[in-house]
Amino acid sequence: MKKGRLGYLFIAPATFHLVVFAIFPMLFSVYLSFFKWNLLTSERSFNGLANYAYAFRDPQFWNAMWNSTKYALLSVPLGMIVGLLVAILVNQKLRGITLFRTLFYIPAISSGVALSILWIYIYMPETGLINSVLGLLHINNKTDFLKNESLAMFALVFMSIWVGLGPRMVLFLSGLIGIPPSLYEAAELDGAGKLRSFWNVTLPMLIPTTFFVLITSTIGALQIFTPVYIMTQGGPNEKTDVVGYHIYVEAWSKFLIGIASAKSFVLLAVIVIISIIQFRVLKNQLEGYSTT
Amino acid sequence: MRSTTAVVIGLCLCVSGCKSPQARPEVVLHLSNWGGADDDAEYSRHINDLYRQFERENPGIKVEIESVPNEYVQKMILSFVADTAPDVLSLDASSAAVFVNNGVVKDLRSFVETDPGFKTSDYWPNVFSIDRRDQAIYAIPGDFTPLVIYYNKKLFDRAHVPYPSGHWTFQQFLDTAKKLTLRDKDGKVIQYGFNLTNWMPGWIVWLWNNGGDVLTPSGQAAAGALDSDKNVESITFLRDLITKDKVAPDLSQTAATGVDPFGNGTVAMEMSGHWEMPGFKNAPNLHLSDVGVTEVPTQLPQSRTVMYEVGFAMPKNAKHPAESWKLIKYLTSHLYQSSYQQTGIAVCARKDVAIERAKDPREQKFLDIVPSARGPWGANVVGYDFVEQEGKKMMERVLAGTDPRESLHEMADRIDGYFKVK
Amino acid sequence: MKKALSYAALTALGLFLVAPFVWMLLVSLQPNKAPIPTLDHLVPKHPAWSNYHLVLFEQPNLPVLRFFLNSVIVTFSIVLGQLFVSSLAAYGFARMNFKGRNYIFFIFLGSLMFSGPVTQLPVYLLVRSLGWLDTYAALIVPGVSSAFSVFLLRQAFSAVPNELDEAARMDGAGDFRIYSRIIMPLSGAALATSAAFCFFATWTDFFWPLLSTSSSNMRTLEVGLSVFKNSYGNTNWPLEMTATVLVMIPLLVAFLFSQRYFTKGIMIGSIK
Repeated sequence: MKKGRLGYLFIAPATFHLVVFAIFPMLFSVYLSFFKWNLLTSERSFNGLANYAYAFRDPQFWNAMWNSTKYALLSVPLGMIVGLLVAILVNQKLRGITLFRTLFYIPAISSGVALSILWIYIYMPETGLINSVLGLLHINNKTDFLKNESLAMFALVFMSIWVGLGPRMVLFLSGLIGIPPSLYEAAELDGAGKLRSFWNVTLPMLIPTTFFVLITSTIGALQIFTPVYIMTQGGPNEKTDVVGYHIYVEAWSKFLIGIASAKSFVLLAVIVIISIIQFRVLKNQLEGYSTT
Repeated sequence: MRSTTAVVIGLCLCVSGCKSPQARPEVVLHLSNWGGADDDAEYSRHINDLYRQFERENPGIKVEIESVPNEYVQKMILSFVADTAPDVLSLDASSAAVFVNNGVVKDLRSFVETDPGFKTSDYWPNVFSIDRRDQAIYAIPGDFTPLVIYYNKKLFDRAHVPYPSGHWTFQQFLDTAKKLTLRDKDGKVIQYGFNLTNWMPGWIVWLWNNGGDVLTPSGQAAAGALDSDKNVESITFLRDLITKDKVAPDLSQTAATGVDPFGNGTVAMEMSGHWEMPGFKNAPNLHLSDVGVTEVPTQLPQSRTVMYEVGFAMPKNAKHPAESWKLIKYLTSHLYQSSYQQTGIAVCARKDVAIERAKDPREQKFLDIVPSARGPWGANVVGYDFVEQEGKKMMERVLAGTDPRESLHEMADRIDGYFKVK
Repeated sequence: MKKALSYAALTALGLFLVAPFVWMLLVSLQPNKAPIPTLDHLVPKHPAWSNYHLVLFEQPNLPVLRFFLNSVIVTFSIVLGQLFVSSLAAYGFARMNFKGRNYIFFIFLGSLMFSGPVTQLPVYLLVRSLGWLDTYAALIVPGVSSAFSVFLLRQAFSAVPNELDEAARMDGAGDFRIYSRIIMPLSGAALATSAAFCFFATWTDFFWPLLSTSSSNMRTLEVGLSVFKNSYGNTNWPLEMTATVLVMIPLLVAFLFSQRYFTKGIMIGSIK
């Protein structure tokens, strides 16, 4: 392919859109973070670094950052492990397996609002689905999962695994299908058992897939909003007040536009740093196995 | 592919301009309120007939209703920010300050003064004054309600407890609630004395009746008011209703049933506003004739309560001020109100309608309570909704076991922190 | 034996994933205003189909059909827009060479990080200053291109053998011709996948339509029915679930039709 200018024409519409609706807003958000403004008045007053100072001193902001970290640390690895296990389960030549694959995907295409309302119901004490089943087994069925300070976060994580199962399964499945059978045959010749060839062949070959799932899941987890908005509003006692929801409240409920912008920018910085670290670590792994 | 391109471009062009393609009459007035999805179809039809009547009386004006049941205040603020504010909006006293103090709603004085068909003396003065600032009038009140204690006579009879009559102290209330809480022989509660909801606009009244308050008199700070000993006492009292005295069901227990326990006939008393009445009418295990109304218990010589009012306002830069005023006048007229209030949603802000309705002794009881009611903080303090959100969290913490004093201190800190930057 | 175990595991998992939906349907058929049923009363003796009539047609302030129409208009415009804009860019990145190509592509990928809460506020202000709030433009234009679909399509376009366009070039075809006559027709499955992704993401988008529209005539189904709560008092679960089922039906129907491309598609998205 020779270098030319025509390529710019092809990417122009998408690039224009990207600049207008992603890059410019981000820069504008940085600009706003230096002002005090409540959206209703027309003038905004310059506030220097005061919004950042406020953000760094605000315990509720750090509580939210911590909650998001906790959510990501729980939901991402658990979701990935479950996704991989299910992918292995459905990577078998069984009659009707496509039906199951399709079935497992349904939660992922469902409406986030509908699912959140549904899961409020599932988590209800006594009458909720989980507690009803516990009641049938004569186990304590009075737990109010979403109102319990130590359980609410786990309730959200559990739901996220349920919702995200389908896509992760399909991703890992495609990774599994892509592994050349010759590798397994070679491992077998070397006398490796099932578990060993899983460890030595399957996992290393899945690293590119894992990388993709890890980065997208982490970004997704750090930005979780709808379930919190519908199910817990950050409660009980701010135990599920994740940073996406916290910033939403600052901006759209308290109308502290400057402070919300400063906090968004801090969040963005954190996401970028995490992505770079993940990228570095996995890239090294990737290169290590690139010979296979 | 070319045809697809054309379709995309065509769509973009069409999309950026037009909103709704229907033919328009001369003036369309958009009216916003927070009526939600109604499961009461009859009620909805009734209200719609009233709007159609306005259209018949004022040819050339069409009324379109925008219902915003969730986060009404936020949506209204955003509509002002977006310059898509409705022509007439319901202004709730509990959040009026955001609109009035930021100067986005119109002073209606010039209409009030020049319109011979409008008399301010038609309205209860302390209701009319809620949306006033000095001489300015930012909304015409439609209806209002003080918060009261509802009681279920049937459950009182079952427990052989006399009905409450006027002034009562916290202790008398607690004793009553204890007697009303009945258990079966296995110790399972079959009837609770009271239903406590973690809803700050409601439970703030308990603080007032113990001589405390949430903000200092200027409304500028929480520290010095919220963390007072009196409030610690009141919050402890409320907590104990559930955790120690066990005269009120646990909040999650209530949520589990999915129905209002008072309406369901399992709780003998609850504190709420007039808006419960339509629900009581339709409640499966409650007869409206069994519902009694009395004042909130108090440690003071006279009981105090809060008054939630709804008025009608228009944006400062109203597009059709004259027509909007006609609609506001209609919505607060005897004709509309006497019909609208048959739904039983509130007490009419017009004296004539309210007095007609007070032939019902229950309605009279509401009127008796009115003089002791004051407007909510949110009518004057911008950002008071934040205070109420923090109040809810504070109560959550207390019910989960945090010390009330510590919890109130934390709440005061947060409020003052927010007031400094808002 | 192993087969039986696998089926047992699959069935258990299937139940776990589908039971809540069945439950949702059963609760929606409980009589209006009924309390939450216990498990043994979950199957209603007289299914209250009237709930559906009530939600669809008896809500003067809740134009459900209008919500549906809005969702259709918005979703289809965005899907078409994305297919066009993103495929053009994907072609540029996959099959053409120009200065800074890789850097620009990297920025596209990086932009996936600043979505959600980070840019919502400035995008809102931008759309406001354009005077688009509460119009279809606000709902559609910010969505007509997505870095994700550019990425997805680039992967697919790269996989088309180079010999094909070289042959076309010999015949004097230009890039736009190669794009429209060779690459696009050969990438049907990838385009369908990208469309399917876009369809579900847009149809179920909640935050942006919630923020950018204020009148009920402009709400999408997702936002419109999320407000299916009485402002006072307790949730009416049967009607709430009815609304939820109504939101789900178009999604399930669409999924049934697109499921083939869908499950295939994520594979294209993954790095091979």
